[in-house]
Amino acid sequence: MYKAEVRGELIHGNKSYKQITREILTPFEAERPPKWWYVGIFLGVAMLITGLWSMYALVTTGIGIWGLNNNVAWGWDIINFVWWIGIGHAGTAFSIFLLILRQRWRASINRAAEAMTVFAVLCAGLFPMLHMGRVWDAFFILPYPNTRGPIWVNFNSPLFWDVVAISTYLMASGTFWYMGMIPDFASIRERTTSKLKRKIYSILSFGWVGTARGWLRFETAALLLGGLTAPLVVSVHSIVSMDFATSVMPGWHTTIFPPYFVVGAIFSGFGMVLTLMIIVRKVFKYEDFVTQGHLDAIARILTFISLIMGTAYLTELFIAWYGGTEYEMFTFMKNRITGDYTFAFWAMITCNAIIPQLFWFKKIRKNLAIVFIMSIIINIGMWFERYVIVVTSLSKDFLPSTWAAYHPTIYDKAFFIGTLGIFLLGLLFFFRFIPMMAISELKGISKETSIKKDEDHGKH
Amino acid sequence: MESTNIIGIYDDPDVVVAAAKKLRENNVRIKNVFTPFPIHELWEVLGLKTRLPVMTFLYGFTGLVVIYAFLYWTSVVNYPLKFGGKPLNTLSFVIIMFVGTIFVAVLFTLITFFVRQKIGPGKEVTMIDPRTTDDKFAIVIEKSPDLTDEDIRKITMILKETGAVEISEKARPDNYIEEEND
Repeated sequence: MYKAEVRGELIHGNKSYKQITREILTPFEAERPPKWWYVGIFLGVAMLITGLWSMYALVTTGIGIWGLNNNVAWGWDIINFVWWIGIGHAGTAFSIFLLILRQRWRASINRAAEAMTVFAVLCAGLFPMLHMGRVWDAFFILPYPNTRGPIWVNFNSPLFWDVVAISTYLMASGTFWYMGMIPDFASIRERTTSKLKRKIYSILSFGWVGTARGWLRFETAALLLGGLTAPLVVSVHSIVSMDFATSVMPGWHTTIFPPYFVVGAIFSGFGMVLTLMIIVRKVFKYEDFVTQGHLDAIARILTFISLIMGTAYLTELFIAWYGGTEYEMFTFMKNRITGDYTFAFWAMITCNAIIPQLFWFKKIRKNLAIVFIMSIIINIGMWFERYVIVVTSLSKDFLPSTWAAYHPTIYDKAFFIGTLGIFLLGLLFFFRFIPMMAISELKGISKETSIKKDEDHGKH
Repeated sequence: MESTNIIGIYDDPDVVVAAAKKLRENNVRIKNVFTPFPIHELWEVLGLKTRLPVMTFLYGFTGLVVIYAFLYWTSVVNYPLKFGGKPLNTLSFVIIMFVGTIFVAVLFTLITFFVRQKIGPGKEVTMIDPRTTDDKFAIVIEKSPDLTDEDIRKITMILKETGAVEISEKARPDNYIEEEND
């Protein structure tokens, strides 16, 4: 049982159910979106065009236009892929782990976190697809009966596992997200006065009416989907890490990789959730729904995960020394801690393991400006982590004669900017056309988790 | 379609649960309860159960078997290609089986949910009271022909006593969701 007196209110202001519906839908029902929304759309489209230009150049010329070379065959493409997938872990980590653990505070955050997941996974999927070079042949990766033998795809390859895992993840998180929206669409359908909106949301709401049995099935289905998808959170990034760990490259060939990647993914995902929620809460005046307590909880989780990250970094270094392999030792000591990529390595350590430790202080957790900056620092740090892993290991492997430096080209950068644009546009459309919080879930928790100020306090 | 419904509107989840309990105790057949969010106690009172978890398990299990059969057939029977000195029927199939099982189970659980609930894109509905998607809770009792005036009066009384803020009688809308609770 949730004790609001002990753990703090989840929704401030003793809101009635009507108030919750109205306040969540305020930005949605506004006549026109605010000015900054148009600015954001403009920016997003500009970024998207940059990305499309890069993709066009890539498809028409070939992946030679990227900064890759014979030795460093994976560069920004895989870095950004892993980075986006990591961010994409937030939604599921949030809504599903917290759903299974019955953490009520997820109710005001899960919708946004899941939206983020879906857009991030879409961005991530672009990188390996376009890295194939001939993107129009991308369907070759699917196991279908073909005229080439029929020769099948390699079911023992982590790259194929990736395809399976990520498409499953996208399907599962997308449907889970949509299912959660159905009752809210029904609320909009019954509320709106515009004929067009009623028509659209009538279709989107699937004819939901909210009978007792309907809700029972709905909740059961949500719990089942959550239970099924929770192992997926762990498996997707484990599989991504196996792209690296099953190779023999120094710095990659380690058993710590799967847990290390999963924790890193959840870390960056939670970081992004924090960034997003601080913005949403401020801009749309959702302070009563996303309280200090919510942000505090995320910050505390980040502190803990940051400790795990630090431990993972130290473990890698220790095993490099303890394992007695000179190549491992070289990669870690001469090519990460010192050497050409020192900056990236120390940026990773500082951003991921050291700076989040500031969250130990309550004063800092309470200062949202600092929390916001730190949440961005975390995602920069996580980008550097992937950079360190990919580039240092590949650029200097076993034979000095094959050493090569890696420099991203303008096309790499433009592509990355393009995916940022997709993400931004996705979020802006989400802000405008979808209720940003799960209204029905908020109503479900509001009574139990607020402190009543009148006389029936303590009655239930 | 002559029959009409008696509808009691409530505005608090705890009150509506108590009301449903009282009605059940008086052997009144509750046709339906409309709420803006799930109320767990209500399912207990109405004695609702779902077999969805069983179906999910069956889907998952079937998915697992089918996926393994597919992997075995492609890698061992249809095109046995040895590489890396690994056996054709390898342990690393586990990964695809694991993820694939989740895929199948999630997808079919959802489909089952939509099919059983009879909802889908484009379905038009008329709600018995639109406010039940906002802040009101509605208990609907069918006024079947075998109810005497006495019974109806009793039901109305119970609804009133248990704290209904509004009691009305309404003809059922054409595409009203048919749902039996017993």
